[in-house]
Order: sequence, then structure tokens, then C-alpha cells
Amino acid sequence: MIEQILKAFNHNNITKYRINEVEAEQLELFFIRRKLDMRRGKKVHKYNVTVYREFEKEGKKNLGSSEVELSESMTQDELNQKVKDAYFSASFVSNPYYELPSGTKEEFVTLESGLSSLTLEEIAKKMTEALFAEDTQKDVFLNSAELFINKETCHIINSEGIDVGYKVNRINGEFVAQCKEPQDVETYQDFSYDDLDIDALRTKVAETLDLTKARAQAVKAPVAGTYSVLLSGDSVKELISYYISRSGAGMIYPKYSNYQTGMMIQGEQITGEKLNLTLKAREPYSFEGISMKDRVLLEDSVLKTIHGACRFSYYLNIEPTGNYGRYQMPAGSKLMEELKQGKYLHVVNFSDFQMDSFTGHFGGEIRLAFLSDGTTITPVTGGSISGNILEAQKELVFSKELQKEKGFEGPYAVLLKDIKVAGC
Amino acid sequence: MMKVKSSNYLKQIKPLLCTLLDRLLQEYFYVSILASDSVSKQYGVSKQGIYAGESGRLAGRGFVIKVYDGSSYSEFSYNDITEEKIEEIIEDIRHLLSLSSNVLPEGLELSNYNPLPDEPLTFCESTEYEIDPEQLGDETIINRLVALSKQGKEANEKILDCNVFCNYQRYSKLFLSKNRDMEQNVLWMTAGVSALAVRGEEIKDCYQSYSNLGGAEILDKLEQGIPVVVNTAVELLESESIKPGEYECICTPNVTGMIVHEAFGHGVEMDMFVKKRAQAEQFIGKQVASPLITMHDGAAATKEVASYFFDDEGVPAKDTVIIDHGILVAGLSDSQSAMVLGTKPTGNGRRESYERKAYTRMTNTFFEAGKDSVEDMIASIKDGFLLDNATSGMEDPKNWGIQCMVNFAREIKDGKLTGKIFSPIVLTGYVPDLLKSISMVSDKIELDGGGMCGKGYKEWVKVSDGGPYIKARIRLG
Repeated sequence: MIEQILKAFNHNNITKYRINEVEAEQLELFFIRRKLDMRRGKKVHKYNVTVYREFEKEGKKNLGSSEVELSESMTQDELNQKVKDAYFSASFVSNPYYELPSGTKEEFVTLESGLSSLTLEEIAKKMTEALFAEDTQKDVFLNSAELFINKETCHIINSEGIDVGYKVNRINGEFVAQCKEPQDVETYQDFSYDDLDIDALRTKVAETLDLTKARAQAVKAPVAGTYSVLLSGDSVKELISYYISRSGAGMIYPKYSNYQTGMMIQGEQITGEKLNLTLKAREPYSFEGISMKDRVLLEDSVLKTIHGACRFSYYLNIEPTGNYGRYQMPAGSKLMEELKQGKYLHVVNFSDFQMDSFTGHFGGEIRLAFLSDGTTITPVTGGSISGNILEAQKELVFSKELQKEKGFEGPYAVLLKDIKVAGC
Repeated sequence: MMKVKSSNYLKQIKPLLCTLLDRLLQEYFYVSILASDSVSKQYGVSKQGIYAGESGRLAGRGFVIKVYDGSSYSEFSYNDITEEKIEEIIEDIRHLLSLSSNVLPEGLELSNYNPLPDEPLTFCESTEYEIDPEQLGDETIINRLVALSKQGKEANEKILDCNVFCNYQRYSKLFLSKNRDMEQNVLWMTAGVSALAVRGEEIKDCYQSYSNLGGAEILDKLEQGIPVVVNTAVELLESESIKPGEYECICTPNVTGMIVHEAFGHGVEMDMFVKKRAQAEQFIGKQVASPLITMHDGAAATKEVASYFFDDEGVPAKDTVIIDHGILVAGLSDSQSAMVLGTKPTGNGRRESYERKAYTRMTNTFFEAGKDSVEDMIASIKDGFLLDNATSGMEDPKNWGIQCMVNFAREIKDGKLTGKIFSPIVLTGYVPDLLKSISMVSDKIELDGGGMCGKGYKEWVKVSDGGPYIKARIRLG
């Protein structure tokens, strides 16, 4: 198929291109309670092609591009036509010129993990056991679950000599825990592992079952007002995602973000903790074939890296790093016990906590929180929190306890001061 | 008006699919094959640059083979089927069906289902359009977007960027089973604008989308909408934080749509009834909303982006009345959920693509119009807000908790808009409380299908939602 695509390039006199070939095999299991409701299999082989076209417009050199999806079911004539259309389209995409990443043919990389030597079926068996191992109670149980076991081979070729590939194995899924008494409530969780992380899944299920049991006790929303809010779990990752977005070349080039390397991104007067963040490479190569490696993003609140793909990096005259979907933070300064002093609202579960990387606003509806008045702790549900990271970032305090979430390793919790809560 | 043409590829491959179907029917009680061939293109213009290309999620060719072995259902997805691969496919399916005994730990078992109904149905239908985006061509579309983006950026010095974009999907689907042979050809197109206004470090944005079951005629609506979006983004620089509390509110049609879809609609997706995850199951036949409210969902309920002739399980499209004058009368279902619940499938079994499972999904979801004028509705508010520009929402079928976010609220005092604007706004509360509090409903409805809907955090499908302006009591934060 690659040969046919290259023939189509040749046929259309295309000299700059990239081909992303993905061959994927997946086994999917869908459970309702303790019954396997459906089995699914998937075998697909896909080709995403980008063609580039150099041209001049108003005296300036441009490099246009256009993407097209190709499949093995297409005839040579169809491939020629699809590629021709994309090349024509690229002639109107008048983006300033940039250079494509260059390279050589590299040895194929197999990401070794506990999954590499196992079949889809063997992985499914082990992860199904892990998923249901903690589902042993009567009052709180797994309502439903989905498990996706994936083996994927990625191959990236471009016109500048890059010819790299890697094989990756992944486990993804989600589950819903339910507790019927005294109130019928549920908690949704998703998970993603690159290794045979049986213990991590078991722990996640156990913690979610406990959390769901606690939520069943919560009857009312907190009283509206301003609180010290303790966020824990995946909302910490979402909060921190603001800094990942703002430091991206794609945000900086059009001036959506004013970040520059060397800048104190939390401002000059930080009374809380200074942020330290590392970008973690999940795959050996980016979708453009750029070799990915771990990079320090923030060191004591100072921006060390602007990250991004080749086009924006070229415009900003920085090294292209590829795009990152995983980041790591060191432990914070306080134990959870210390963070839970005095009056606070500890939100352990939102319906959907969101951070706006343009405005810095964050917020979400509270599914379960623990309200402390300094002496007693009451589970609450309902209401919402809203705040702005630009105001909150000077006083952030993180927990010493750590968590490993999908795409994030870092403190389990963060304390935010003076946050508005809409409640009863 | 022109009709969308059939896919040549599906025509060519149909005899092979019929052969595969016949082979599988020799082994299994029920077999269906869904084949799809989709072309989709996205265009965008902003300070980040220009983009034009096919979308991976919406473009491509592929197949879903569904089999029933006498007790349960299994599926296999492929993106290429050839004569040489038929034996391999048959073997893949046999292997998949044998998996359960190897994979399931002690205490877990396989579900037991009846065979799906398969009454004879044969048809070929196509939607209509005025301007074919493929014929209009990339040059015209890109040049128009470039001009609109420039117009938006130059409208006010505080505008940092004006991102304009559009995309379309032209898809053909073929559904084959022992007794069914159905084909549909559909074209929809959406467009949108997102304006960013800046003052110092502060950035405010305003977004609006436009959609149709049709073609590039939607670009005229985009052009008309840009000045309003740009002015609102600038206005938002003066916005304040709202004091949390419960207020009398008027919701614009796009906020009504978000409440209809996120707060209520997800709760009547009946695969959630099967899992006992939706409170709505206990409210069938009961009052859940004001008597002023009648709610519909259906691919045949209106002509919008989620209109089609049959769903991804081969069930013909319907117009389902969900709430009738405040009473919850029906939910939405895919085929298997309907079988478990003993109801009729409503044509809501939808897949993100041939690569994914079908779930119960909404299509075009909306409240019917009422009799009030928007002017009278605003005049009736002593101290409240006009909520506009829905940004996001999250479902909570189990507890009917509301999490909806809107970009801004305009203050209303003594029946008049004061000019003060508050942003952003989080809506919370209990869904039936909000719906029962609806006291006025405007006389026109608007639907918008600019976005995609997920089930939880995945399974993205095209939907539209909307309705009239509604007046309700809502907790804001």
C-alpha cells in the first residue's frame, strides 16, 4: 500500500509528504453487572497522508498542506485522485513557510512492557480478573464496565528521510460503581495503562467503591459562600493542564498565550508552592516522526520549555519537541492531614471539572465533597465551584501523597483558597 | 434541491457483502452487515493559520459484522473486505465467540438474548442540499473563510483572533441482513466562529455554531453571525462574576438545547435503564416538567445534522415524543436495550464510526414551541438573568444533577435588560425542579447541531438540540 501511495505522489509530482500508517487490533468487552453483554473485535489498517505544497503569495514563501485518509480498499486511480485533490487543496492553505522535520530510517521500536508478550485474549483475562476482584460487596458494586485491549503498530514516513515505527500495547476502559442505600448513587471512572497494571486497576476499583459508598451518605449541597477548596484525584490533572496548554507553541505563536521561556508563570509574589512540571514522552516518536523525550517544563515556576509540533516551532525559532499528552509533578509540601486543617471543602468527585486554558476559569458541579467546619466532617453533594487560576495560582499548596492518573503522575491533592461555591 | 448520490464503492462491494452474509447465515441465527463510506472535510482559518483536510473520525470506509449465536451478540469491525479475506473473517468471528469461556473469571457469565426482529425492509433514500461543498471547492470555501476571519479581526481593536471554520460529512450506509437491504446517503454541514477579545492578560471568548442537513448554504448564516459574536466577545471584557444563588432566568434556545440534551436527554437513553443507571425509568408516566413542555427526539423529528433514514442497527428513523405536556411518556433505545426492556426500538442505535459499538444515542432533541413572546418573557422578570451561549454540559442520569456551563448571563431588573453582563456561569440543581419551574415558553424554536455528543467521555456522534426561549428558576454560580 505504501508503494501505491508513493506512486500516487509520483503521479502528481508531489515531493513533500508524510504518511502515518496505523495497523490496529483490538478486543473489546462490555459488561453489565457481572455479565459479559457483548464481545467486539477490530482489525483495521489505516493511512493518514499529508501532502505539502510550496508556493509564493504576495511575495512571501508559503507551505500549504492538506490531509487525506486512504485505505487499502482504494484502487490506484482512487488513490491518485484523492492525493491530487489534497495537493490542490494545499495550494490555498497559505501558511508561512516552515521546514519539515528530517531524519533517517531508524530501527523499529517495540515498547517493552508486561503486555508485549501476551495475546489480546490473555491480557483481557488478567484485566477482567483485576476489574472484578474487588467487586465483592453487596451494598456497593460494579454496575457496568468496558474494557479495550489494543495492539497498535505505527509507521511514520516523510519526504525528508524520516522512516520510523513503533509497536504499542494499551489497555483502556471505564467502569461505574453503584451504591443503592441509603441513596442510589454512582461514580464513573476511566482508566488507561501501557503495562499490565493489575494492582493499579484493583486499587482504582476499590477506591471508587469506597467513594461511592460515601456519596450515598451525602444528602445536601454546601451552603453558598467562599471556601478553601481541596481538590483531589483527576481534577488536579485538569487544573495543571492550564500550564501545559499555555506553554504550547500553538498557543504562543498566535499570542493566545504570553508565555516565554524564563518567565515566572505564577507571577512574582508566590506565597504558596512553586510549580515543577515535566513533560513525559509516551511514545518514542511524535506523529511527525520527531523523537520524543522527557523535558522539564517548569522549574520552580520558571518556564523552561515551549513545546509543540514543527510548524509553530519553526515560526518561533525553537526546537520542535512533538506534542505531549502526559506530565509529571513532584510531591507537594503538606500531608493530606495537614491540608485538612480547619474549615475546608474537599471535593473528591465532580460531574465534570473543567479548566479553560484561554481565560483561566475553572469549575464544575460537585458530585461528592466533604465539608469540614473545623470540628465535624459532613459529606455533601450538589452545587458547584468556580474560580480563576490567575487568582488562585499564587497560593497553591500540594499534597505529599501522590497519584497516578491517565496522563498524569503527581500530587493527589491541591488546596485552593477563596473559591466561590454555589450551593443551597 | 439536489439529492445526495449513492457511493460507488458500496455498490461495487455489495455482492461480496451478500456472499459473506450468506456464508455467516449458514452458521448463525442472525447476521447483519453495516457498511459505510464517508467523505468529510474540515476547514479553519485563524491566527494559527489555515487548515484544510479530511477528518479521521468522520472520514473513511468500513464494516461492522454483527452475529447472534443463539445466546448473545458479537461484532467485528474491519476497514477492508476482499474475497480473499472472507475465510479469515469467518474464522475471526468464530474465535471471538469462543473467547468468553477463556476470558471470564469464576462468577461471571455471558448475557442471554433473544434474536433481533428482522422484518423485511428494502429502501434507498437520500437527503437534499442546495450547494454541494465538494463542487463549490476548496478555493472558494477557504477564500470565504479567510475574508470572514479578517472581517472579524478588523471589527474591533480588542479582538485578538477570529477563528472561523466549517466542516461537512457526506456519508453512505448500507445495511444488510437476511431480510433487510437498506441504503441511505446523507450530507450535513456545520460552520462556526470563535472570537477572542483581549485586555492585558485577560482573554474572553465567544463561540457560535451553525448547522444544517444540507450543504454549503450554511456559510451565509456564518457570515451573518460574525458581527454579533465579535461584539459579544468584546463586551465580555467588562463582565463580572455572578453572586451565586437561585434566580429567575430566561434561557436562549441554545441554552434550552443544552438543558434538553445534557440535563434530561441523556437520562432517557434506555441502555441506561437496562443498567439501572437512570432515575428516569421510575418516572415513566409521571410529571417531570411543567405542563408547558413537550419534548421530542428523533432522526425523523426534524431536518438537522442528526437526521437519517435508519440507525446503525438497521432500525428506521422515528420521531419520539419523550415528554408530553410535562409527563414523561417514553425513552430512546437501541435494539438490544429495547429487547431487554420489552419496548420497541426507536431508531437511536448509533455508532461513532464502523470501528465502535452502537449505543442508545440522541439525535435531534428539542422542546416544542409555546405561545409567549420573548419580549413578554423578559418583561415578566423582576430580578434575574438572560442566559446565553451554552458552552458545555455533563449528564447525570442516575441523580439528575445538572452541570451546564454558559458563557454569559445578562442582568434583567424590573423587566428590562440593564446592560450588565456576568461570565462564566455554572448552572446546577435537580433536573425535574428546573423543568417543573418553567413558566413561559416562546413561540419559535431554533436547533443547533454545531457540536458532537459523547457518551461519558467518548463515542462522539453528531447531534442537534434546541427549542424555544424558556423561563425557569435556576441555581447559578
